[in-house]
Amino acid sequence: MSFEPKILGIACNWCTYTGADLAGTTRLQYPQNLRVVRVMCSSRINPSFIFRAFQLGADGVLVGGCHPGDCHYNTGNLYARRRLAVTKKILEFSGLEPGRFRVEWISASEGNKFAEVVTEFTEQIKNLGPQTKFKIEQ
Amino acid sequence: MATSFKQIEEKLKTEAAKLLESGSVSLVLAYGKGYDEKHPMPYVAKCASDVANIVFNEFCTYNMARYLVRYPRGTKIAVAVKAADSRAVIQLIQEEKVKREDLVILGIPVSGMKNPKTGETIDSKTTCGLYNPVLYDVLLGEEVHGQPVVSPYDVLAGYEAMDKDARWAFWQKEFDRCIRCYACRKACPMCYCDPCFIDQTKPKWGDKSPEPAGNLMYHLTRFHHLAGRCIDCGECSRACPVDIPLYLFHKKVAKECEEMFGQAAGMSIEDKPALVNFRVDDSDKILE
Amino acid sequence: MSRIGVFVCHCGLNIAKTVRVSELAEFAATLPDVVVAKDYKFMCSTPGQEMIANDIKEHRLDRVIVTACSPLMHEQTFRKVLAASGLNQYLLSIVNIREQVSWVTHDIEEGTAKSKALLNGAVNRARLLAPLTSRVIDVNPDVMVVGAGIAGIQAALELANTGKKVYLVEKNSTIGGHMAQFDKTFPTLDCSACILTPKMDNVLQHKNITLMTSCEVTEVKGFVGNFDITVKQKARYVDHDKCNACLACTEKCPGKGVSEWDEGLVKRKAIYIPFPQAVPQKPVIDRDACTYFIKGKCRLCEKVCEQKAIDFEQQDTSTTVKVGAVIVATGYDLMDTKPLLQYGYGRYPGVYNALEVERLFNSAGPTGGKVTLRDGREPQAIAIFHCIGSRDKNNYEHCSRVCCMYSLKFAHLFKEKTSADVYQFYIDMRAAGKGYEEFYNRIIEEDVKFIRGKGARVAESADEPGRLIVEAEDTITGKFIKLPVDMVVLSPAMKPRADSKDIARLFNLSTDKYGFFMERHPKLAPLSTMSEGIFIAGVCQSPKDIPDTVAQAYGAAAEALTIVVKDKLELEATTAMVNPASCCACLNCVRVCPYGAPFFNEQKGVSEINEALCKGCGLCASVCPSSAIIARHFTNDQVLAEMEGLMEF
Repeated sequence: MSFEPKILGIACNWCTYTGADLAGTTRLQYPQNLRVVRVMCSSRINPSFIFRAFQLGADGVLVGGCHPGDCHYNTGNLYARRRLAVTKKILEFSGLEPGRFRVEWISASEGNKFAEVVTEFTEQIKNLGPQTKFKIEQ
Repeated sequence: MATSFKQIEEKLKTEAAKLLESGSVSLVLAYGKGYDEKHPMPYVAKCASDVANIVFNEFCTYNMARYLVRYPRGTKIAVAVKAADSRAVIQLIQEEKVKREDLVILGIPVSGMKNPKTGETIDSKTTCGLYNPVLYDVLLGEEVHGQPVVSPYDVLAGYEAMDKDARWAFWQKEFDRCIRCYACRKACPMCYCDPCFIDQTKPKWGDKSPEPAGNLMYHLTRFHHLAGRCIDCGECSRACPVDIPLYLFHKKVAKECEEMFGQAAGMSIEDKPALVNFRVDDSDKILE
Repeated sequence: MSRIGVFVCHCGLNIAKTVRVSELAEFAATLPDVVVAKDYKFMCSTPGQEMIANDIKEHRLDRVIVTACSPLMHEQTFRKVLAASGLNQYLLSIVNIREQVSWVTHDIEEGTAKSKALLNGAVNRARLLAPLTSRVIDVNPDVMVVGAGIAGIQAALELANTGKKVYLVEKNSTIGGHMAQFDKTFPTLDCSACILTPKMDNVLQHKNITLMTSCEVTEVKGFVGNFDITVKQKARYVDHDKCNACLACTEKCPGKGVSEWDEGLVKRKAIYIPFPQAVPQKPVIDRDACTYFIKGKCRLCEKVCEQKAIDFEQQDTSTTVKVGAVIVATGYDLMDTKPLLQYGYGRYPGVYNALEVERLFNSAGPTGGKVTLRDGREPQAIAIFHCIGSRDKNNYEHCSRVCCMYSLKFAHLFKEKTSADVYQFYIDMRAAGKGYEEFYNRIIEEDVKFIRGKGARVAESADEPGRLIVEAEDTITGKFIKLPVDMVVLSPAMKPRADSKDIARLFNLSTDKYGFFMERHPKLAPLSTMSEGIFIAGVCQSPKDIPDTVAQAYGAAAEALTIVVKDKLELEATTAMVNPASCCACLNCVRVCPYGAPFFNEQKGVSEINEALCKGCGLCASVCPSSAIIARHFTNDQVLAEMEGLMEF
């Protein structure tokens, strides 16, 4: 059987989650490997959530927020951009494959972008294979 | 070196006595005698008669900025700081843990400090590599000229060049040895949380006992919490009983932060801590 | 121990087609703490809701999970079911298996597997949900309307007529918007001014409307029911309280500015009213055109003003207005067609855009209503190009909706006012609207020539100086057409105002890729936005004609009224709080909060959060190093538990 990765998505309520809904409303097809957690803002994402996701066995983590400047809470995603950038650098220096963590700005009107990003990211994670470094073996 | 340790000790005593006698500070954070000369201790002088107990020698590595946050806000404090220690003071001022006007900063320009644990001279590659304090009110000696390192980040080159799997193996080996004594956070001037996130039970971020997953969560999250704040004094690594080279990871994060956000921790009291700040024109490239 | 009920919706076949719903319910029943799990055809129907209500009582449920469509769709519906059954409404979890599962896959295996993972995550999170109490706030009964075109005017009048106080903010010196520039309106050909100016006057006279012209919103604070909006009054250099509108100043003024009102076709004075029926009918000074501001000498207007109303020292001022709801109706701009070099707009004097032509027809316009070219000639042949920049993937993909009809109107007016031959170059004729097809048929009868093909190019005639050659492919005959004309009318795409992104930022609105404001739901909430208490009306949302704009204005007024008619309003309880025992006083929360909700309590030595200001984004919780901040409904524990559940399957 081919490798079907588990991908954790964390999406902000106002843009990316709504964009994901729009992808559904317009019946765009994309791989079903992504499981989305809804938070109110991408700035809600604690860096430890990301570390934890990989420990829980996520093969990839995709964070989605409003485009910078369009944050429902004005500046939330501008903080998130810095904090998630640092998270990414820490993951990389620890030895995790850089391609496993991705942040994308996807607006409520970008259902097609959501589908494209998920498709592309899933493909990328499939190529990387199972994530074994952080994963806690039960 | 221009000024000897003994001379610095004398000047430190003189300044401390002056400040305590005049009542302009209520305590002086400096160094005192330990069980032998190679093991001086952090020391708080609270009155003029305490001043005689102050010592300063090449083993006085502790970052006394660590103790600033112990006292109620508004306490007038004099603190003896070496180069990196002064950056910790600056960072604490940025974070509004202490106020500039409540402090008298006694700057100590030194080189050739020794690790009390090994007795060897501290490799400047494991610290920020500065000789002179960045901020001080009184300089207890002449400025030391020259720099021991070209860049505090040069030491990273070998680790950055490593293949990701080799780097993972390297850190796994290091973190797996962690006994979770928390000496690193105790020594750190910026680790003032009480409780630390890892001690929380709600949520439980990781196991409390030493095991690989909890160790990884503790250290990676701690690196994130110190991102843009670590002033590269190297105390965490020297305090570590199992010699985990934490300074390497901190340096890497500091280097990335400096490149991304254009500021190094603890260099100016005008800066805002980088991770609770933003610029509208921060580039999306930092996420790549 | 929780008692969780799981309710799986088929949504007809919408979900059931690609998710095995009964298997999902059976799976749910196996999960710890789930005491009842059912599937049903339409969970949002009355029987579906009753089933949930009954099960809450019968099985003494303390958590409810509805596995159905997006929470953005029916979360409120099911919260009400919980509340009516005596269960706190925040003990509900929605699992989105329609928009984010069944509609995005054709594979029932994949769909079912993903649904199980999502449901497992929700069960994990549900155990940790806490009952929350909604905050009740006082509502400010006033409303602000931003933009005073026909949409803003209509909305303001409606609200004012119900007795509500309205602040109508307009950035220009007069209200009226684009509609005031038109001569006739399709399809009835009634005079635009005749139907609009009485409304403009009503606005001015209405005791409940505070008219704020030459004003711009600069800051928006607060939240639904309690907005604090800062409005900048731009300096007019004329004290409107003193001015008696004698307009002696405008006669004497030697300055010359570009008349925005006449689309730059003529000059106006530096002190001016844009057009005779402007409201307010009091002049303003255009700084950039005023001789005194340019050269430091003149002040003729001041000399002739008996009221001493001229004030060269006037400065911009700011005031803060408190309102409970806002309607944004900022309208549109026409696309700048200069960059489309093939049409020669801006290069050839015979090429006009639609708004310029509106002014040519208008008796108060630059030519007094005569159709003459820039060189004074009357055109003998006129080409009207539809869809310039609209329905064009290189520019704006949307149809601008009004161009077909106003192009027909233009054809009629050209026929009425000139003896010219009129050619319509169109892609499709779109005449969906009451009386529109009839209007189209009428114009066909008027000897207007229709060529089905997009205007491709405009060039200067080599043989007859001053004439233009238009080129197009007639897609009916398949022939390439070259036609000499005197005048070309472009129907440019309607686009959002140049500053629509700034407006969006101020009011926290989402925009589509062109900058049109996004509605909360494209069908069921076309006038609400993602920002509670902010509504939109008119072309700022998408291109539309006057009847649709007016209908939206009425609708937006009613929407705003649903808020300001209440004395009290319930706000989401999903705010953040500080656990003082864990606070390390790093002040990160205080530093980052966009709303200034957290503050440092010096006495206690810890941060606290003013819940009235908190909007529940959770930023403070993520920057809190000691995990002392609890983002209610999205706590660290809840998020981690959900993640754990999602990754388990």
